[in-house]
Amino acid sequence: MTEAISLTVNGRSYELAIPPDTPLLTVLRNDLELNGPKYGCGLGECGACSVLIDGMAARACVLPVSVAVGHEILTLEGLASEGRLDPVQSAFIEAQAAQCGYCLNGMIISVRALLNHTPRPSSAQLRAALEYNLCRCGTHVEILEAASRAVAISTAESPEAPHE
Amino acid sequence: MSDRQPPTSRAEPTELPAPLASPKRFGVAVRPPHYAWNGEHFVSDRLVAVDRTSVAGLPGQVEIVIEGDFVGVVADSLAAAQDAARHLRLEWRAPSGAGQGDATPLPVATGAASRELAAEYAKTASSHRHDYGWPSRLRWGDTPGWVVADCSDQRLMLWGETITPEALIHDLMTLTGLPAERIELYGTTPTRVSGLGRHCGDDAAVDAALMSRQLGCSVAVWLDAAYTRDVHALGQAQCITLSADLAESGDIADYRYHQAHASGDIAAVGLWLCGRPPARRTVAGRTPFFSPYDFNNAQLTTRRDDHGTGRRNEHLAEIQQAFARESFLDEVAHESGQDPLMLRLRHLDDARGVELISSVSQRARWGEALSSATTTSPDRLRGRGFAYSQLPDRHQRIPEGVRSAWIADVEVNRITGDVTLTRLVVGQDAGPEVDTDRLQQTLQARVLGSARPLLGRDPAFDEWGDGSKDDKNVDPTPGGALAIHTAMATKESADAEATTSLLQPLDDVNLAPGVAVIANALFDATGVRFRQPPFTAGRVRQALHDQADSLQEETPGRPTNRPGRRWLKAAALTAVAGTAVMAWPWKGAITPINRPAANLYSAETIERGRLVAAAGDCAACHTVEGGQENAGGRAFETPFGTLYSTNLTPDEGTGIGQWSYAAFERAMRHGISRDGKHLYPAFPYTAFAKISDTDMQALYAYLMAQPAVSAETPANALSFPFNIRPLMAGWNALYHDPSPFEPDPGQSELYNRGAYLAEGLGHCSACHTPRNAMGAERSGQYAFSGAMVDGWEAPPLNRLSRSPIPWSEASLYDYLRHGASSLHGAASGPMAPVVAGLGELPEYDVRALAHYVAVQMDAPAGDSETVQADAAVRIATAQSGPAGMEEGERLFEGACASCHMESGAPSFTSAQISLALNTNLHSQHPDNVIQSILGGVHADHVPGLGNMPGFADSFSDSQVVNLTAYLRARFAPDQAPWRNIESRVTTIRQHNNSPSPTPNATTRRG
Ligand code: FES
Ligand code: FES
Repeated sequence: MTEAISLTVNGRSYELAIPPDTPLLTVLRNDLELNGPKYGCGLGECGACSVLIDGMAARACVLPVSVAVGHEILTLEGLASEGRLDPVQSAFIEAQAAQCGYCLNGMIISVRALLNHTPRPSSAQLRAALEYNLCRCGTHVEILEAASRAVAISTAESPEAPHE
Repeated sequence: MSDRQPPTSRAEPTELPAPLASPKRFGVAVRPPHYAWNGEHFVSDRLVAVDRTSVAGLPGQVEIVIEGDFVGVVADSLAAAQDAARHLRLEWRAPSGAGQGDATPLPVATGAASRELAAEYAKTASSHRHDYGWPSRLRWGDTPGWVVADCSDQRLMLWGETITPEALIHDLMTLTGLPAERIELYGTTPTRVSGLGRHCGDDAAVDAALMSRQLGCSVAVWLDAAYTRDVHALGQAQCITLSADLAESGDIADYRYHQAHASGDIAAVGLWLCGRPPARRTVAGRTPFFSPYDFNNAQLTTRRDDHGTGRRNEHLAEIQQAFARESFLDEVAHESGQDPLMLRLRHLDDARGVELISSVSQRARWGEALSSATTTSPDRLRGRGFAYSQLPDRHQRIPEGVRSAWIADVEVNRITGDVTLTRLVVGQDAGPEVDTDRLQQTLQARVLGSARPLLGRDPAFDEWGDGSKDDKNVDPTPGGALAIHTAMATKESADAEATTSLLQPLDDVNLAPGVAVIANALFDATGVRFRQPPFTAGRVRQALHDQADSLQEETPGRPTNRPGRRWLKAAALTAVAGTAVMAWPWKGAITPINRPAANLYSAETIERGRLVAAAGDCAACHTVEGGQENAGGRAFETPFGTLYSTNLTPDEGTGIGQWSYAAFERAMRHGISRDGKHLYPAFPYTAFAKISDTDMQALYAYLMAQPAVSAETPANALSFPFNIRPLMAGWNALYHDPSPFEPDPGQSELYNRGAYLAEGLGHCSACHTPRNAMGAERSGQYAFSGAMVDGWEAPPLNRLSRSPIPWSEASLYDYLRHGASSLHGAASGPMAPVVAGLGELPEYDVRALAHYVAVQMDAPAGDSETVQADAAVRIATAQSGPAGMEEGERLFEGACASCHMESGAPSFTSAQISLALNTNLHSQHPDNVIQSILGGVHADHVPGLGNMPGFADSFSDSQVVNLTAYLRARFAPDQAPWRNIESRVTTIRQHNNSPSPTPNATTRRG
């Protein structure tokens, strides 16, 4: 049964009539045509579908859309602001950290979520944050490299960030 | 929660001193387990020890205030104080006889004084004799509110609504030793000051003052249904015994009036507990008696000592006397077959009084029968009453005093017990001018009041909501449609000053007959005599039921066993049944009826029914997935075969549209369908038999008001002998007890409400109690000891609980209200829709359920530090997995860990609560774990709870087995490994019809 659902995605609000238990991922990709989040496993295992909800990472494939109502959803598409890429995005481009690129959405979102919470993570913290993001191409070394670069860029951009 | 802001919003901000407008701290009084006023003394448990560590570490800067046996918990917010109060561990001792002058054994009998009197009066055998009581406390009204105190050595400021400011100030003086002029009351509306007695807002005020005084800052107390305990504990304040004989002529002779106390109001509970009771004294001088009548040989007596009050309250005495006398005269009139109005006129030697009464009776058309055409629904009973008084004029303007005659019409809703005052004709002989509007307003405010102290609600075990408007599901206000028509029959008084109206404000004396007139009208409507106010819906309803019971007992030749009495009750109270059925056949069809008209029942009855349906969760079983609500057809696998739930919509062909109430009630209580067939006990009629009549009627009303859906129920497929329905009669005889729920008088109101919901409507035992080979719930020690239902384990709800962290009442509440407890996990499987259904219920009901289950489990109120530390240790231990279970570990890390383990950054989709605390993983049975892995957890109808995907299509049987074993070893290391995982996986796959995926299926997404 469909219900009226209002969602806030990338700062815009949407009014939708959909079954409330539809996975958020399906709504983002099919109804809002936001294809940054990818469909990987559909079971919350791989992280390809990650989005930010209230600044925290969330696996959109296992989240009924009704649960996201009233929260701020940010997808990969919404990361750049005023025409400038997010430092994490820049870092991944600079490091060319992709083989096929399918996992990149999840990697970028997870690093962003970590930086939101811990602005200057140690490399152990970086690894832990990416532990449950799968990459089928085995690009892990480059991805970790990109993640460290993202930390460096964002630290440089915000020198007032507290020291460890 | 917006109501729970400090009182600024309700106060006049300009006048309110800052400490009251924004209180610093919030307090909750914690009462002893037992305390009571027994008619002579206040007795309570004694505080022995306070365990302050039990609240250490709780948020909100918790402080404990102890004074004698008074305990208060104060914190930065109401929520923090309430939470700390739940966690606080106190040790109490019952008062022992030795060395305690005041102590009498508990439980306390109220009305010791009246027993004494009864003995005294037994000697005189009057033909008419009745006792009338007056409660020590009235309830405070419909809406909870704040009481704020700010107390220093210099002065006490108090914000709160009292209707007895004099008594409150007296108590506060006793408490603080301050003179009256140093005590400032704010927020009290003069028009609501009534002479009817104290309400428990005064107890809250003294609590706030006690806490504020000790802490030296302002303290706010939330006055809500919790204070109803004080109302019950303080019991009866006054008892008046009246007796009379009738002469041949019908005249009253030998009229005797005795009152047990010189005056009756009882000091606030806090004062008694903190050990500063008011001084006892004998009241000097004669107790004034007020009576306009001339009786032959009248005797008026009272006891002199003024227990528990320390002050005399003449206003209250006048009203109490008028209530007792006017009720008694009404009773004598009815008992001797006289017109109540005429009986009074015969004893009134006062021309002006006679003139006033006849004028009022003409205006009200006393002699004419009430027209039933205006009755709004068949649930309603109507009646009319009369009362009269002549009392001294407090302003000394009229030497003869004020005469006042009242005629009231009431309407009683016999289902809900609500009383509506539909018309009031009041005549008074005093003062030149009467401002009708003002009288009407004053009556509204004082006799009914927005606080409605007389007709308000009183919580009972089957009362919905706690009477506070902050509950979304509170019953609609019956007084909403109140219309008072005041017809003034005034008479110039020669001595009255021409310019001043006596209604500035209306003197209390004028209200004296107001209570009796309602009692008399209630009697006329229902045949039930109320000899003590208040006339709350719960009391009225109970009285109507008792009356039906006693009618039954008086009927000769009628068996008086419970089922028989119930039927009569149903017949007497049911308009829908139409005929006065005295009993229905055990078997055999009940004649079909046309579907009752949708507007037959009032909106409030239907709303009550909606709550009943939510608590009983009818839709969970009577709706197929994705189907129309309550249209039936859902399949149930039982050990005896497959059963299908039936269509509960009022469709005449396939639903219950042709079911009369009698048929419906028989099905609910006895498991017999309208057509006479026995139903199977998968339908929990064994629990539903406990539902109260009122709730049953409301449920019927609700179901009949829903849209009809035509849906045939599939035929059941049962194995022998269960496919032979008549055998179920034998089953019923063996296993079914259709007796209704009886509240346990030794238990609290909260417990009884919880028991009613859990044992009856909620039918918890249908799942949580094991069944014997015949499918009957086992009793005694087996009650609530857990069972397997529909492929899931319903865990034990008693001391057998295997939860790794023992449950507390607070955790149970969180689980039932929010669907998850941080120390236990989230509701899943068949429990998820149950919690979703509970979301419809008022907060008080969920609290009651949690309390009842906590008692079954012997669980503490809150989670101690030890328990929390234990939880932390369990979580830490489970950080790494056991060695040698590679396959399980790989599966866990790949599929589960992303949500079930911490990754260092907060995640919106993580499973918040560690598996190390999960009850299912610590159970004897792996079933719920397997079910969750295969089917996932879908609790999205509980707000704030996420979803876990099912892995039935991606894991093979052996993967599920390996993962389950691994989870057990890692997260329940203190439990023995499960032995039967493989066979359970196979069975559950079969049961759920979800076969192990073929290799193709697992790779389909590739
Ligand atoms: S697609 Fe959502 S976690 Fe893999
Ligand atoms: S780059 Fe292909 S999945 Fe990671």
